[in-house]
Amino acid sequence: MGLIDHQFDDNIITTTVDGVLNWARSNSIWPMGFGLACCAIEMMAASAARYDIARFGAEVFRASPRQSDLMIVAGTVTKKMAPVLRRLYDQMPEPKWVISMGSCSNAGGPFPTYSVLQGVDKVVPVDVYVSGCPPRPEALLYGLLRLQDKIRKEGTVLRRERVIRLGETEPVLLASSGRAGDLDV
Amino acid sequence: MRTLVRLIKTVLLADLWKGMFLTLKYTPQAAFTFQYPAERRPTAPRFRGVLRLQTEPATGAQTCIVCDQCAKVCPDDLIALGGHREPGQKIKVLDYFDFNLSRCSFCGLCAEVCPTRPIKALIMSEDYELGTYSREAQILRVDEMYDGVPIELYTR
Repeated sequence: MGLIDHQFDDNIITTTVDGVLNWARSNSIWPMGFGLACCAIEMMAASAARYDIARFGAEVFRASPRQSDLMIVAGTVTKKMAPVLRRLYDQMPEPKWVISMGSCSNAGGPFPTYSVLQGVDKVVPVDVYVSGCPPRPEALLYGLLRLQDKIRKEGTVLRRERVIRLGETEPVLLASSGRAGDLDV
Repeated sequence: MRTLVRLIKTVLLADLWKGMFLTLKYTPQAAFTFQYPAERRPTAPRFRGVLRLQTEPATGAQTCIVCDQCAKVCPDDLIALGGHREPGQKIKVLDYFDFNLSRCSFCGLCAEVCPTRPIKALIMSEDYELGTYSREAQILRVDEMYDGVPIELYTR
């Protein structure tokens, strides 16, 4: 994907290609099994028969970061685990997304101590924060649906970045012709 | 003799039929999977979802008396609220109610200490669809706290 990412202006062909790519990406998110604490139990419940995360194309929990698109950080991230988490994130191939599941990985939860990382967004960029302690399997599925909605609105081959601003639901195309990294938000 | 039995079993694929029969036995059952975005499972009676402010159902008037007990009891100091007193009135008016959802462990102590009767100002609601794109959006302001606030729901 690297060759055509963010290389084209928006016209009817590239927007169609964009739509197809985003459809494919959003409906086959392979998560990495990254259960750290009690949230992992709910993550397992979400992938089991009762809630069946396979209905959203995200049932293939990979044991290797090199085969996965999504990292579900489920549980308390200690400062000892944080470098490992960052390395696993770096080993995932682009495009990659992160769901922070539960209060502990959102902000440290009830552990404002020396040993716990106060929010997983200190080491990796988080796309969706799912609140709950632990979140129900439905809440995780809701977070996944929310991530799929975000992926569908992203720009894939367009030169101009498509961005959802804070507090809005519809994406806007940025005027600057910057690359994926430098956004004017 | 035992070898012969094993040979016959192997030739007639006995283990395979056994497994197939088990599959067939469970096939006529109704689907066990719960179709989440289409149907929403009712929560348990004691389920603790996100914290919500309640108003009087008949009039829509404010029930919170700004007693600050929920903010005091919260083990992680997640609630900050304040109000002012109108001249000549005894009851306080709620100005702001900031609730930091990101750290909340849904223990329910805040709703437990809420003293207003018969309608509790603070309840643990049945809303659990909590997914945000940013950490700022997890701090709920007073207009996002009222019970029955619309949640963005998705279809498949």
